[in-house]
Parts: sequence; structure tokens; C-alpha cells
Amino acid sequence: MLLEARQVTKSFGAFTAVADVDLGVAAGEMIGLIGPNGAGKSTFFNCLTGDYAPSAGTIRFDDHDVTNAPPERHARLGIGRTYQVPATFEDMTVLENVMVGAFLRHPHRGEARDAALAVIELTEMTEQRHLRARTLGTPGRKRLEIARAMATQPRLLLLDEALAGLTPAEIQRAMDLVRKIHATGVTLVIVEHIMEVILTLAERIVVFNQGKVIAQGKPDDVVRNEQVIEAYLGRRKAHRR
Amino acid sequence: MRWVWIALGAVFLAYPWVLAGPFYERMGALVLLAAISGSAWNLLGGYAGQASVGHAIFYGAGAYLPLLVFTQWGLPPIAGLPAGIAVSVLIALVIGIPTFRLLGHYFTMATVAVAELVRLVVSNWDLLGAAVGLSGPAVSRGWWDLSFRSSIPYYYIFLAVLAVVLLVTWQMERSRMGFYLRAIKAGDRAARSLGVPVRRYKLYALMLSAAFTSVAGSLYALMVGFVDPDSGLGILISIEMLIIAALGGAGTLFGPLLGAVILIPLQNATNSWFGGSGSGATYVIYGGIIMLIARYQPGGLMNAWHALQERRHRRAAAVEPRHAA
Ligand SMILES: Nc1ncnc2c1ncn2[C@@H]1O[C@H](COP(=O)(O)OP(=O)(O)O)[C@@H](O)[C@H]1O
Ligand SMILES: [Mg+2]
Repeated sequence: MLLEARQVTKSFGAFTAVADVDLGVAAGEMIGLIGPNGAGKSTFFNCLTGDYAPSAGTIRFDDHDVTNAPPERHARLGIGRTYQVPATFEDMTVLENVMVGAFLRHPHRGEARDAALAVIELTEMTEQRHLRARTLGTPGRKRLEIARAMATQPRLLLLDEALAGLTPAEIQRAMDLVRKIHATGVTLVIVEHIMEVILTLAERIVVFNQGKVIAQGKPDDVVRNEQVIEAYLGRRKAHRR
Repeated sequence: MRWVWIALGAVFLAYPWVLAGPFYERMGALVLLAAISGSAWNLLGGYAGQASVGHAIFYGAGAYLPLLVFTQWGLPPIAGLPAGIAVSVLIALVIGIPTFRLLGHYFTMATVAVAELVRLVVSNWDLLGAAVGLSGPAVSRGWWDLSFRSSIPYYYIFLAVLAVVLLVTWQMERSRMGFYLRAIKAGDRAARSLGVPVRRYKLYALMLSAAFTSVAGSLYALMVGFVDPDSGLGILISIEMLIIAALGGAGTLFGPLLGAVILIPLQNATNSWFGGSGSGATYVIYGGIIMLIARYQPGGLMNAWHALQERRHRRAAAVEPRHAA
């Protein structure tokens, strides 16, 4: 296993956002992590990246215990991430944003620049490379976050709702990029709350509801699962009332 | 960029010949001194976005130590300059290590608190002259005392030091450290996710900033030959550095120099209008400038200029396709 989370729990005061979650990710997999809003996906995700220290449980990455390691250690070990709300460096250009990531493996400016340009090419942002991040729209900033994380040369890339808020055409482009990244050998964990998109993308689906994993397996099996239908459709019915 | 360096170098080298006379020579030296300390503040407050309101501690350490080695052991004051740097870097570590664990505001608040504490302690410390302060050699014992009647030698010494500070800043800006500091300023959570050891880089920036600020304090003590708790450690010294950087453009290479060129003559003028050292007028000017910056141009003058150029570029880029077609 490349990543192994055991019995991970995260509480905020008395409220338990993630309860006893187990997840194993093998090298080369592409996993979709789905669930309705508020299910605890982002919270669990932030435990995996070191942004939150879990209240209980252990997380191992590539034979290192990273349960309480800070985010920068995760990055050095080879975990890259994006944020649900893009956190690009607004006053810096696209190239400069990506160079910050590239400096992790390339301490010298020239090499970092070359590495960043290669990633910008891969993510198809070459034309925007001299624009400041703040001038990009949401799709551009989400793409830039992916580019920036890729520049750290991760073995595992975690995407938190990289597709949310995009138009269908933009979703297609983003999915092409995700497939391209997967094809380079990067293991992916993708968080989404829109189920339809992720089913066509991921090889394995893990379903969250109220802080717990309620189902996991192949996309086809997961959509037929009673509890999953309940979690999604039950909500929708409740909304209509 | 090379032409900017050459043009600035030429202007500042020629200044004492263009505007001669003790008044302008002294003013020129004071502008350069303020540009040095403003640029030093800028390394941390500008690039990394960690605003300090306590840099007077480092300035004071730099100012006191040269005069201390003179009064205690009769050494030439310049011998105290490296000691001032060492003390400043040490204090920087003492403040930075605990507060950089916390959110940005705590650092700012800690700097104010520690600076006032240090001022109070020094005001009652006989070794440092307590409230009276310390003086340098009354008559120069030799060139090594660096005690000159004219301001011109100081002007050129300060110019050389400013050049060093700006060159170091320029190199830093282009290196990994510069990128990391700007990333920290833009959002330290995202920076950490890209592997930036945020606390370590804030500490590096603080140590470098403290060292250069200390040098500015030592240069001040060499020129004036006297320091007391107000002139070496007063809160106005910290605020002046902040305002000079913010006015010219925090986080830009030449911003603090521009800020010093504007603020120091302005201060000089108001001081002579309102008489005496007029610290009341100084507060009014500082307050006014802070309000103007906050209201109209949070990025300072250099950033206003950059934004203007960017808009022109974009307009030019929008025209281009027509040429191609
Ligand atoms: N920092 C926090 N403090 C308190 N509650 C939080 C915090 N972060 C998330 N929560 C709560 O935890 C639950 C799960 O949130 P989140 O992980 O963001 O869900 P998802 O990403 O699946 O939409 C929500 O009820 C949310 O309100
Ligand atoms: Mg979420």
C-alpha cells in the first residue's frame, strides 16, 4: 500500500466529523471519494495531507508514519494536494506559482524554472504563464493548483473538488488532465460530491456519509448499493419537502 | 533592470555635487540611512508579509554597541558593529522562534511588546547610560574612529552599505528564498502544502532583516556620536521603517528607497515649520500617510507604478491580434 489510513477519527470539540475511517491506496490507483456535502470528505482529506492532525488513528505513507507530520513533510515525501477553495498565490504569475512548487526538488532558479515550464506545458497553461493568478477565473485557478502541486513531483496527488463549479466543457478538459496525470504514473485520490462525473473517472469509489465510509468498490456496484442511494436520494427527497 | 541600477547609482553618486552645502549633505545621508533600515525591514515585513513594529530593538542594538565598546574599552566604535549584529540576530531568534509558531498577528504584537520592554530596561540600565544615553569620541583619535565633521564621508559610506543591502535583496528576490517568502505572504497554508518550511524561512528573513537593521543603527551612532533610549529604541523608529517601506512599496526592491526619498525631506520640512524635533507633527504625518496608503494604494507607490504598466501591457496585447490578422 502506498497510503494506509487506519481508524482515522477527527473531532472538532464534541462534533465528530470523521469516525474510524480505514482507507488503503495502492500505487497507481485512481480512487474517487464521494459523499454528500458535509459528509467529512474534506476533513478526512486534510488529515491525509497533514493540514489536520487526526484525533485518533494512524496514517502511513510509503512506510513512513505521517499521522502527526506537518504538511511540508507530506509534500517532501511525495503527497501533493489542491484545495476545495483555490488557494493560489494571487499576486504571483502562473509561472511563479508553479516555480514555488518546483523549488522543492530543484533548489536552483534556472532548474526550477525549466521544471515549472514543463509542468505548465503538461497542464496546458503555457499561454497564461505570465498572467497573475488573480486574473484567472475559477477553472484557471483550479488548473493552476494542480500544476503547482504537480511541480513538487508527487507520487500521490489528492484533489479536493477539482471539478466543482466548472461548466460541462471545462469538466471535460479537467478530466482529460486528470487522466493525463494518472497516465504519467501518479496515484490519485479525487474528492467529489457530484457522483456522475467521478463514476466515469475512478476505478474504485469510496462513499462517505456522516463521517463514515458506508460503501466502497467498483463504480457500477457502488451506484446500486442501497445505503448509497439512501444517502444521496434521501437527501434529495428531504430537500424537496 | 541593469539600467535602473546604473541610473540610480549615477544620481546618488552625483547628489552631493549637485546639491552642495551641509544641510543637503546631511539630509542626503539621512535619506540613505532611512533607505537602509527601510530596506532591511522590507525583507521580512514586505516580502514575507510579517509586519514588525519592533525593529527599533535591532536598530538600538546596532546603535548602542559601538558606543558601548567605546565607553567601556575605548575601542573604535566601528568595532561594535559586528557585536550589534550578533545581539540583534540573537534577539531575533528569541522573538521569532516562539511567535512564528502562532498566527501572523502574534508576531506583530510580540514585536511591539518586546521593543517597549527593551526600551524600559535600557532606560534604567546604568551600563548603557540609562535615560541619558551614551556618547562616542568627542574628538576623533584617528581615521578609524570614523568621526568626521562633514556629512559627505557618511553619505558615501551609507551609499555603499545601501548598495550591498539592495544587491542582497535583489539576489534573494530571484532565489528560492524570495519565492518562498512571497508564497508565505500570499498564504502560508498553501505554501506548506508545496513543501515550504514556513517557520524556518520566516526565521531566516527575520535574522537577515535584524542584521541589516542593526547595521543601520550602528551607522547612525557613528554619524551622530550619541544615542539615548528615544533616538535608539523609540517606537517612532520602528514605525518610520514600516511607513517608508509601505509608502514606497512593501515587497519591492526599490520601494523603501523611494519611500525614504519622499518621507525624510518631508519630515525635515515639517520639523522646521513647527520648530524643534516636533514629534507631535511627526505623529500627524505618519498617521496621515498610513491613512492615504490604506485608502488609495495598499501596495505603495512602486506597486501603483507596476499596476499601471501592467494595464498598458494588457492594452498593447489586446491590440496585437489585429496586427497578426
Ligand atoms: N474546522 C472545523 N470546525 C468545526 N467543524 C468543522 C470544521 N471543518 C469541518 N467541520 C464540519 O465537519 C463536517 C464535515 O465537513 P467537510 O469535511 O468539509 O465535509 P465535505 O467536504 O464532505 O463536504 C461538516 O459538518 C462541517 O461543518
Ligand atoms: Mg469538502
